[in-house]
Amino acid sequence: MTEGALVVENLDVRYGGVHAVRGVSFSVERGEIVGLIGANGAGKSSTLHAVMGLVSSAAGEVRAAGASLRRRRPEDVARAGIALVPEGRRVFAELTVDENLRLGLAARRSRGGSPGLLEHVYELFPIVREFRRRPAGALSGGQQQQLAIARALVAEPDVLLLDEPSLGLAPRVVDLVFDALAAIREQGLAVLLVEQRAQRTVALADRSHVLANGELRLTLGPEDAADTETMVAAYFS
Amino acid sequence: MRRETALELAGPAALVVAAALLGALVSRSTEGYFTDALVKVAIVVALYVFIGNSGVLSFGHISFVAIGAWTAGVLSVPASEKPAIMPNLAGFLRDRAVGNLSSLALAALAGGVCALVVALPLMRLSGLAAGIATFAVLEITHNLLRYYEKVGPGLNTFSSVPETTGLRQAALGALGVVVAAFAYSRSRFGRLLRATREDPAAARAVGVSVYRQRLIAFALSGALAGLAGGLYVHLLPISTEGVYLDLTFITLAMLVIGGTTSLWGAVVGALAVSALDSTLAEAENGLTVFGATLDLPAGTRVVVVGALMALVLILRPSGLTGGREFRLPRVSADAA
Amino acid sequence: MTLAVLNIEWQTLADATALGAVYALMAVGIGLVFGVLRLVNFAYGQLVMAGAYALALASQWEWPVWAGIVLCFAVVLALSLLMDRLVFRPLRGQSPAVMLVATFAVAFLLQSIALLAFGPLGKIATSLASLNRPVTVGGVDIRKITIVAIVVAALCLLALVLLLERTTVGLHMRAASMDFATARLLGVRANRVIGAAVLVSGALAAVVAIMLTVQNPLVTPDFALRDTIVVLAGVVVGGLNRPIPATLGGFAIGFASGILGGALPTEKSQYLPSFLFAAVILVLLVRPGGLFTRYRGAVERV
Repeated sequence: MTEGALVVENLDVRYGGVHAVRGVSFSVERGEIVGLIGANGAGKSSTLHAVMGLVSSAAGEVRAAGASLRRRRPEDVARAGIALVPEGRRVFAELTVDENLRLGLAARRSRGGSPGLLEHVYELFPIVREFRRRPAGALSGGQQQQLAIARALVAEPDVLLLDEPSLGLAPRVVDLVFDALAAIREQGLAVLLVEQRAQRTVALADRSHVLANGELRLTLGPEDAADTETMVAAYFS
Repeated sequence: MRRETALELAGPAALVVAAALLGALVSRSTEGYFTDALVKVAIVVALYVFIGNSGVLSFGHISFVAIGAWTAGVLSVPASEKPAIMPNLAGFLRDRAVGNLSSLALAALAGGVCALVVALPLMRLSGLAAGIATFAVLEITHNLLRYYEKVGPGLNTFSSVPETTGLRQAALGALGVVVAAFAYSRSRFGRLLRATREDPAAARAVGVSVYRQRLIAFALSGALAGLAGGLYVHLLPISTEGVYLDLTFITLAMLVIGGTTSLWGAVVGALAVSALDSTLAEAENGLTVFGATLDLPAGTRVVVVGALMALVLILRPSGLTGGREFRLPRVSADAA
Repeated sequence: MTLAVLNIEWQTLADATALGAVYALMAVGIGLVFGVLRLVNFAYGQLVMAGAYALALASQWEWPVWAGIVLCFAVVLALSLLMDRLVFRPLRGQSPAVMLVATFAVAFLLQSIALLAFGPLGKIATSLASLNRPVTVGGVDIRKITIVAIVVAALCLLALVLLLERTTVGLHMRAASMDFATARLLGVRANRVIGAAVLVSGALAAVVAIMLTVQNPLVTPDFALRDTIVVLAGVVVGGLNRPIPATLGGFAIGFASGILGGALPTEKSQYLPSFLFAAVILVLLVRPGGLFTRYRGAVERV
C-alpha cells in the first residue's frame, strides 16, 4: 500500500498546560481535498501549525510522502513540498504582487522550474496578473487571498494547507476561492482545508473531519452537506 | 510579617552586613575593595527597583548616580577651596558648603527629582524604545556635566570632596537602599508594578495604570541612585568618565548576572561580580595564591566580566539566583 | 570662500557630507541586522574598531595597501560571523531589551580584548594617509578622502539597493525584515538570510573602518565608539526597521554634526550631543517608527 501525500498519526499538541490536540490521525491523498472543521479553539489551526513545524508536537507522527516531518523547521517543511496559506493571508503589503509570488519560489525544489508555471497561476487567478506591479497592500481582502494561494502554488507543492481561507471574504469571492480549490484538486495536489464554513467545506471536500476539544469526533462525506441535522449534531455533540 | 517575607529582607541585609564585617577584618588596602563593593550594591539595588520590578530596561540610571555625585560633591567641597577647583561655579553654589549627611540627603533628592522629570515623558515607552531613550538620557547628562562648569568641575576630577565614605558609611548606605527597595517591592505599588511586568494587558484591564506605576518606581530608583552617587563621590575623586559607560556596563552586568527580578539577585550579583573584579584587579598587579604568582595583564577584568555577562544572558537569562528572592533551604517535615 | 547665507565654509560642507556618508554606511549596517534579527547591535562599532586595528597592524608590518584592505575585510567578516554564531543565534527569540544588553556586553568585551592585546596607547594606520592631502576643486581645497568617502559610500549604497531590489537573497532579506515568520513558512531559510545580512553589515563595517582610519589614523580600543553611539541615535531618528530611512537618519545626523560642529563656536558645539540625543527622545515619543518612514511604527510594537 502506498502512503498518502500527508499522513498525520496520533498527533498531540500542548501549549503549557493546554492540551490543544489529542491523538488526531488522518491522511490526505493526491487529488483529494480533506476538510478539517470545528468550532473556534477545537484544535484545527494547532494541527496545521504542528504539521508546519511552527509548534512542536508533544507526540505523534507527521509524514509527507513517507518522510517524517517531525522536529523540522518551518522552512524545511515548506521545502519538503508542503505549502501553507496562512490564516489572515499574510501577504507582504509593501512588496509588489510579483515580488510576493517570487517569494513563493523560495520553497521550490526544482531549479529552473517549469516555464508554464506562472501562466498557470495567472490563469487560475487573473487578478494576480492584472495587479502584478502593485503593492500587495493595495489589494482587497479577496484579492490578497487569491495572491496568497497563488504564492503557495508557485512553489509546486505536493500538499497545500489552507487555514480559514474564506475568513472575512464576500460570498462571491468565497465562490471563487472554492472553485479554485476544486481546480487545484484536479491537478493532483493533496489539499487540507481548515474552515469555519462547515457546510461549504463538507460539500467540496472528499472527506471532512470534525474536530472538537482537540479530538477527531466524526468524519463526514459530501452527501452529508445537505443534511442539516447531521451537521448540527456533528458540531454540538 | 510572614517568615518568608522577613527572609526576603534578612537574606540580602545579612549579606551586606557580612561583607562589611569581612571588610573590617582585612587589611587597610583590601578594605577599599569592600567599601567600593558596598557602594556598587547601593547602585545595583537602585537599578533593581526600577528594572527588576518593571521589566523595562534602563541604560540611564547612571545619570542619576552622576547627578547625586555632582550634588553631594559640589555642596560638600569646602567653600574656601571651590574657586580653585571649580572657578566657574554658579553663585549660589559657590559660597556655601554642607555636611556629609545633608549632602547625601540632597543627592537623593536631586536624583529623585531629575528621575521624575525624565520619567514624565519617558515612561510611555517600553522595550527597545525605552532602552534607547534612557541611553539618550545618559548621553545628555554626561555631556552637560562634562561641559557645564557652573554646576561642577567640568572635565576635571572632583577633588577635595571630604572622603567620608568609609566602610561604615558604605555599609549603612547600602543597607538603607536595600531596606527601601524591600519596602517598595512589598508595598502596594511594588506589587502593582510587578503585575504590569508579568502581563501588562491584564494589569491594564483591571485598572492598573502602567504609566503611573513605572513613574513612581523610576523616581524612587532615581533617588536611591542619587544617594548611591553621593556615597560614591565621598569615596574617591571621580570625573564624568567615572559615572558613564563603564559604570553603566558593570552595574548592569551585576544586575543581570545576579538575576534582574529579585532584590536578592541584585545584592548577590553586585557582591559576586565585585569580588571577582577585585580579585582580578589584584591579579593584574600580581597576586600570590598558595605560593604561585598570578600575574594577569591589565584589562583582563573587563574581558572576564563581559564574557561572564554574555554567557549568563545566553545560558541562564534569569541570572545566578534565577531571579528568585532569598529562601532558606527547605527542610522536609518528615526528615525530623 | 564661504556660503554667504549661512556663513559656512565650503570645506565644512564637504567634510560634513563625507561624515554623513560614512555614518550612512554604519546606519545601513546596523539597520540591516536589526531588520532580520530585531536586534540593535551595540557592538557594531567594535567591528569597525577590529577592522581599524587590522589596517594599523598591516601598516606596521609594512604590507601593501591592498593586503591591508583584504586583511581588514577578512577580520571584520570573520568577527561578524562569529558574533552571529556565538551570541546572536543563541539569543534569537529573546526580547529586544535582553539582546540590547547582550550586545552591550559584547561591545565591552571586544573593547577590553583590544585593550588587552594592543594596550591603551593605540596604533597608527598610515598606509592610506596620502588620501588626506588636499585637492583643489573650483578654488576650494578639499581633502581627497572627503571625495573618496562620498563616492565609496554612494557606490556601496547603490550596490546595496541592487542587492535588495534585484536579487533573490535581497528579496528574502526584505521579506524577512517585514514578517520573518511568514517568510520562513514560504521556505525562506532563516539562517541563510540572517547570515547574508550579517555579512553585508560586516562588509560595510570594513569599508567604514577604512574611511575612518584615513581621517583618524590613531586606532585605540574605543575607536568608533562615539561614532556608533551617534549613528545609533540617527538610525532611531530615521527609522530602525527600513534600510532607506535608517540610511537617511545616519546621513542626517552625520551631516548635522559635521555642519554644526564646524560652524558653531566651541562653547556651543560642545553641547551638540545633548541636542542630538534630545532629538532622539523627542522622535521616540512622537514618531516611534522614525521620521522618514511612511507607515507609522506598526512593525515594532514598543
